[in-house]
Amino acid sequence: MKTTLAFLAVLAAFAAAPFALGPYYTTLIIPILAYAIALIGLNLLFGYGGLLSFGHAMFLAIGAYASAVMGAKLGVRSFEAQLIVAMLASGTVAGLIGLLCLRYTTIFFSMLTLAFGMIFHSFLFKFYDLTGGESGISVPRPSLFGASHAGLSKTAFLVGPFYWYALGLFAVMFLVMALVVASPFGLALKAARDNERKTAFLGVPVFWVRYVAFVLSGIYCAVGGAVLAVSIGAADPELSFWTQSGNMIFIIILGGLGQLFGPVVGAVSFTLLQDALMANTQYWRFALGAILALIIIFAPRGILGLITRALDWRRR
Amino acid sequence: MLSVEGLSVDIAGTSILRDITLDVNEGEIVCLVGRNGAGKTTLLRAIMGQLAARAGAVKWRGAALTGLPPHLVARRGIGFSPEESEVFASLSVAQNIAFGTWTRPAPAARAQARVAFAYEVFPKLTTYMARGGAELSGGERKMVSIARALALDPELLLLDEPFEGLSPAIIPTIAAGIASIRASGKAILMAESNVQHIPDYVSRICVIERGEIIFRGSLAEARADPLVRQVASGLA
Repeated sequence: MKTTLAFLAVLAAFAAAPFALGPYYTTLIIPILAYAIALIGLNLLFGYGGLLSFGHAMFLAIGAYASAVMGAKLGVRSFEAQLIVAMLASGTVAGLIGLLCLRYTTIFFSMLTLAFGMIFHSFLFKFYDLTGGESGISVPRPSLFGASHAGLSKTAFLVGPFYWYALGLFAVMFLVMALVVASPFGLALKAARDNERKTAFLGVPVFWVRYVAFVLSGIYCAVGGAVLAVSIGAADPELSFWTQSGNMIFIIILGGLGQLFGPVVGAVSFTLLQDALMANTQYWRFALGAILALIIIFAPRGILGLITRALDWRRR
Repeated sequence: MLSVEGLSVDIAGTSILRDITLDVNEGEIVCLVGRNGAGKTTLLRAIMGQLAARAGAVKWRGAALTGLPPHLVARRGIGFSPEESEVFASLSVAQNIAFGTWTRPAPAARAQARVAFAYEVFPKLTTYMARGGAELSGGERKMVSIARALALDPELLLLDEPFEGLSPAIIPTIAAGIASIRASGKAILMAESNVQHIPDYVSRICVIERGEIIFRGSLAEARADPLVRQVASGLA
């Protein structure tokens, strides 16, 4: 009940944003939605499964490039088709890589995902004909449910139809994840994080539970990546660089690791914080680093944990 | 139902179990007695598939278990409550116990009956079903650990030192629970290092010393055996 109410409040806030804020801030919210979708997926693996991946930006980039290649090179403008291809491509890559990476846990898992992420980054640079090399590929405006919205300016398209489309997609992906984490599968994933050996003694195929989580997280990141590519109008290799993976981990910790709303709170806070810091100081990276250190030391459950604690304190 | 045939297990190049042969039949409660480091836990973990055998075999109703991963051994119908009975801290007591009904699914009514039986064995657990796993005392964790293994509906339950580290006040509750499990007809293979804790109703005793079984017989025979008495004098 509490989750449903919180979810409705989040949806209402996002729905009110275009009316309350100007186009600038509304265009800023689309990457928030894109990152929220991607991080809901990464949170399944990292927060619920305890597996820290330093390579998930790769899946974000796969989604972005799937949208770009489909739209710019193959002339397929349907965003639904682009999303399906993004999910299939990312799911396939995650399925193959997961078989290798999940043979390990802890730092070895993290390093392997980092290695695959770097290989993919190099691939995007070197295979110029397909990926556009360093400059990437421009993403043409996609059609949404068959409607091209050709009469709208770029900004009007983004803050209008595409915003609502991204919000709907976020809502669906969030609800699916809420069901996943509350299911026996989600609980088995958490149990394996707590104690892998004992989880196996209770009949859980721990490797396969983690494998499914890995593939699912890759698919979520790809969907987020496709939305992100449309909002920024391009897919470029920087999307897959390891610093992007670092940012994704930062956002989850900032919001609240292993909590359903953590990635959403993190994506909102990070985007607004980064925007404010970049506008006011050239030392914004230093400030972000300091904030991360403070969060880990004083609020290990992130901003969401602080909010929950404050609400509990008020109730008392 | 369970046959361990000439099982030898090495850990990091050291021979821990040597040529262990052991049977557990339907409805029996077999107690594996030995001092710390004798090989009791290693044997239970090898049966569960966590440790590989150097030689020998473990068979379940005639079919080989050797080489199967732990989750498949559990799904065959062997429940295990390890010595360090940590519960899953991020799950509630109810979720911990319901676990077995997901991994060894059954029609809803049967699954409910399995969970109900787990609570029947340890009625105290019903009072803190919603409590988180991290908020339990040692005795409560032990009860959850055994109840969780029971909810798998195992035909054989492996209990590793079920009384270890518990306060004397909680030991009768655990002992009563084990008696209820035995009364339900489930077989039990129990490891114990404290001879005072061996229940009178055990079917057979196997004394394990330095990785080898040195005695098999009833509790009365064990008490009369000079070799067992000598080993037991070194036990707690």
